Amino acid sequence: MTINELIEKTGWKLSTPSLDLSGEIKGAYCGDLLSWVMGNGEPQQAWITVQVHANVIAVALLREFSCIIVADGANVTEDFAAKATAEELVVLESDLPVYESAKKLAELGI
Amino acid sequence: MFYDLHMHSCLSPCAEDAMTPNNICNMAFIKGLDLIAVTDHNSTKNLPAIDKVAKNLGLKLLYGAELETIEEVHVLGLFNTLEKSQKFQEWIDSKMPNVKNDEDYFGHQWIMNEMDEKTGDEERLLLVSLSATLEETVAAVHEYGGRVILAHVLDRANSVTHQLGFIPMDLPYDGLEVKNEEQRLRVIQSNPWVTEDSTNWFIDSDAHYLTDINEPDHFLRESVYKKLWGDDL
Repeated sequence: MTINELIEKTGWKLSTPSLDLSGEIKGAYCGDLLSWVMGNGEPQQAWITVQVHANVIAVALLREFSCIIVADGANVTEDFAAKATAEELVVLESDLPVYESAKKLAELGI
Repeated sequence: MFYDLHMHSCLSPCAEDAMTPNNICNMAFIKGLDLIAVTDHNSTKNLPAIDKVAKNLGLKLLYGAELETIEEVHVLGLFNTLEKSQKFQEWIDSKMPNVKNDEDYFGHQWIMNEMDEKTGDEERLLLVSLSATLEETVAAVHEYGGRVILAHVLDRANSVTHQLGFIPMDLPYDGLEVKNEEQRLRVIQSNPWVTEDSTNWFIDSDAHYLTDINEPDHFLRESVYKKLWGDDL
């Protein structure tokens, strides 16, 4: 599934509107401890987290995640969105808690 | 100056009850330390008593707190006067969630006077994360006239590298705390933007028990102290 299709099916907010959404999502990873995610994430996963520190962007690039899904209404700041845009990393915002967001992805076959 | 800039009094629920103002200051004094900072979790409320005891002993004190940011990163905020630290308590209070302490589970949060008499309990649980980001917390400590040391940066809990993967490149901290020389080399190795000279390094005890307070093994040059906390030696 592409990021674009995911947005169409979930209605989740896109925080980085200027970016290309054709990236493929092949699985998902949940976690807020960045040291842990750095060691365990896989390329092309969608990363669900409530952490919105700028380091999240660096970790996502390092693991080559397809996108970040900031869950549970955690606040994506303008700085965060701007930095992600500069790094061409798509950020989505889900109001659902982490578990519910992950369940949604599972329901959609991810 | 031989120093230890990270230790907890009996106000921190996880510290032993024997970490009273007199016990802490006298232990540091007997061990031969010249400078200490007491850094309770998210609180400066035992510092008025500790200040009096330290002054009587002629022990130099920095007035601190170990702050937990919203990312659950621990940072030391260290002030060079009691007044600044007590003013900073207002900022802490404005960011502190109101969760009641469960003494049986977490431990006592005793506030004491300079006679080691309990004068009160902190009712709110101090082992919480403040509603401020790491960046906001660093800025607040600076705004109140303090300095920031990122605490136990390689620990497997509540350290900047554990919570956030690595040390943020543009964070304006004043020092990094490690457990030993080997850790310092590891930090430099794994964070190429951190060098031996790019910041000030501290080896503190993070003592929760009296006996864990540093021996006089780690020396802070007066020039570094003055650069960070001014000339009031």
